[in-house]
Amino acid sequence: MKKQTLTQAMAWLHTWSGLLFGWPLFAIFLTGSLAVFDQEIDHWMQPEVQRQDVPVALAAEHAVAYLQRHHADAGAWNIALPSERDPGLRVTAGDRRRGISTDLDPRTGEPLKVREAAGGSFFFHFHYTLNLPRQIGIWVVGLVALVTLATLVSGIIIHKKLFKEFFTFRPNKGQRSWLDFHNASGVLLMPFHLMIVYTGLVIFGLIYLPAALHALYDGDFEAFYQEAIGEAPHHHGPSRAPLATLVALGPLLAQAEERMGPLSAVSISHPGRSDALVEVRRVLGNRIALSKGHNMVFDGVSGKLLAGPPELRPSVLTQRVMFGLHFAQFGGYPMRWLYFFCGLVGSAMIASGLVLFTVKRRRKYLVEGRAGDFGHRLIEGLNVAVIAGLTLACIGLFWINRVLPVELAQRAGWELRLFFALWALTLLHGWWRPHLQAWREQLGLAALLCLGLPLLSALTVDHPWDDRTRLLLEATSVICGALLAWTTWRIGRRAEQPAPRRHKASAALEVN
Amino acid sequence: MLSAFFGGLVLAYAGMVGLCQGLERHYKQVWQRLPAPVLRRGLRLAGWASLAASFAASVAAWGWAMGPVGWFGLISLAGFALVMLLPYAPRLSLLLVPAGAFAWGLAWLIA
Amino acid sequence: MRAVFSRAMAALLGGYAFTYAFTACLARLLPLDRVDSLLVASLPAFVVYALAVLWAFAARDAWRAWLGVPLALPLALIGFWPQLLEHLG
Repeated sequence: MKKQTLTQAMAWLHTWSGLLFGWPLFAIFLTGSLAVFDQEIDHWMQPEVQRQDVPVALAAEHAVAYLQRHHADAGAWNIALPSERDPGLRVTAGDRRRGISTDLDPRTGEPLKVREAAGGSFFFHFHYTLNLPRQIGIWVVGLVALVTLATLVSGIIIHKKLFKEFFTFRPNKGQRSWLDFHNASGVLLMPFHLMIVYTGLVIFGLIYLPAALHALYDGDFEAFYQEAIGEAPHHHGPSRAPLATLVALGPLLAQAEERMGPLSAVSISHPGRSDALVEVRRVLGNRIALSKGHNMVFDGVSGKLLAGPPELRPSVLTQRVMFGLHFAQFGGYPMRWLYFFCGLVGSAMIASGLVLFTVKRRRKYLVEGRAGDFGHRLIEGLNVAVIAGLTLACIGLFWINRVLPVELAQRAGWELRLFFALWALTLLHGWWRPHLQAWREQLGLAALLCLGLPLLSALTVDHPWDDRTRLLLEATSVICGALLAWTTWRIGRRAEQPAPRRHKASAALEVN
Repeated sequence: MLSAFFGGLVLAYAGMVGLCQGLERHYKQVWQRLPAPVLRRGLRLAGWASLAASFAASVAAWGWAMGPVGWFGLISLAGFALVMLLPYAPRLSLLLVPAGAFAWGLAWLIA
Repeated sequence: MRAVFSRAMAALLGGYAFTYAFTACLARLLPLDRVDSLLVASLPAFVVYALAVLWAFAARDAWRAWLGVPLALPLALIGFWPQLLEHLG
């Protein structure tokens, strides 16, 4: 780097950090947008689960009856109650995440045969770990988020006509159009971009930067948590307490619902023992602050309330509001749709930046009269595979879910293997095919898969559109498919008649 | 809540149209002539007023804590939609304002 | 290339050291409860980090880019003062 002005330095930083971190960032944004509807996607991917109007108390009663019959000696039970977003009833014996799960019919309490599926939770986990081992993934995504924050600020600094070109988009003008689109999507959604990246960093903030924790608590997170929120009573390890009858859940649930609103789950530790505890969790979302861990705990024998949802002090509340702003569990479906669309526009902003990089370069090579070198080919191929390829793989996962045999062993694992195989294929394809053809073919195929999703459902599932969540998901897929088809068609037109190249000198002027 | 949400959306879009048409460049883009200074100022003023009304609608839909968050989302997406539509269908992008207001009013009457 | 690498390291590692020390120092100096100090110092820390990254690339020469590291030392001293005393005494 030579001596240069601030704007030049920031432009350089924006270009290169945007390129290198733009690839993982696009994947994080796209899967994050899908994760806004994680439970809805979960529900779509398990078509055996029917939406039924059953009071939660009755569903819980069925769940307890089933668990008592089959898992009486388990150290803990978890019951995921039917809710508006995910109408399934699922019981787990043992650890909530690693235990044995069974889907039940909420009306009868009989076990349902439900296919194993990667589900929308896959998009959610990929969003913050990139499917790496959890600890490594969190750090990698954190690094990407931090660089993104710096890249956003540098983007604002180098944008000379932020207000003058606030509403400007000039299509069909090659590089100019890409820059216009990148600016418009970046500037108009800047509040969203800054908010989502910053709150994302804050979620694991004390893992990334435990400075204050080290300084004030000698790194003891438990001590901090105890002081900040206080811990509800809970158990470690197996029970040695004598046997005792579990309290009836109905009155407890009614009490919890009155205090906290709609409920999402019940956890029972040491069920059937005299020291049993019943923890009732609410559906997240009646306030911005993420209320994870704010539950009500009851004595599992007497039914006495042991701990209510804690009142948060302002500083902790601020932190929880920042978490909540990221998780988007508040404000109901209208807010979810806003987050979804903002996330998609953000993904498009990143994609346009990545494409702009190659468009600029290609132009420079043309001016200098040489073909692009190996590095340029590599970047173009990666762009295709990350942007078009991941889009294709994501909609592909929906198809894989319907096409793979239901009785396959380790089925969810196979769904993901095929997802990643498909994504890897797009990388090879993106490299092997001429550049614009690669874009067209991958986006075109993604468009077809999106448009064909309702058809696939009709062919593979009984009564595919009885359920409004599944119907809406497929309608959304068709709309996305139409947009992708339009994009493919535009690329096709460009491939046939390349836009006239403009004057050389203007290329240099158009940096900003 | 849904009614206030859609009202907020229509008002946010209308506000962005007002601000956009209050600029010479974009007024010309639609009408092929320059706006009179009074009209320009009026459009901008109406734009800001509409955005403010959209804020009120968001607060009505979500309350004081979530309302501002939703409002930012609404005006951002409305502005983005306008910018994307304007060069392809300039008149249509403006017509969406009365069309949206009509649909909202109709839905309100029915509901 | 070496200058670029140096700046990138100054941004990420130097920036981290500076932010870490700054946050620890701020948490120590804030006249609040432990819980509040920790959060009030930690929540805005990524603003500091992002600015440090920008500084590393905006600085006039590659040496200035590393400015955060020498600044981190006294900040860390304040932040970890009690631990230091305990260690020495």
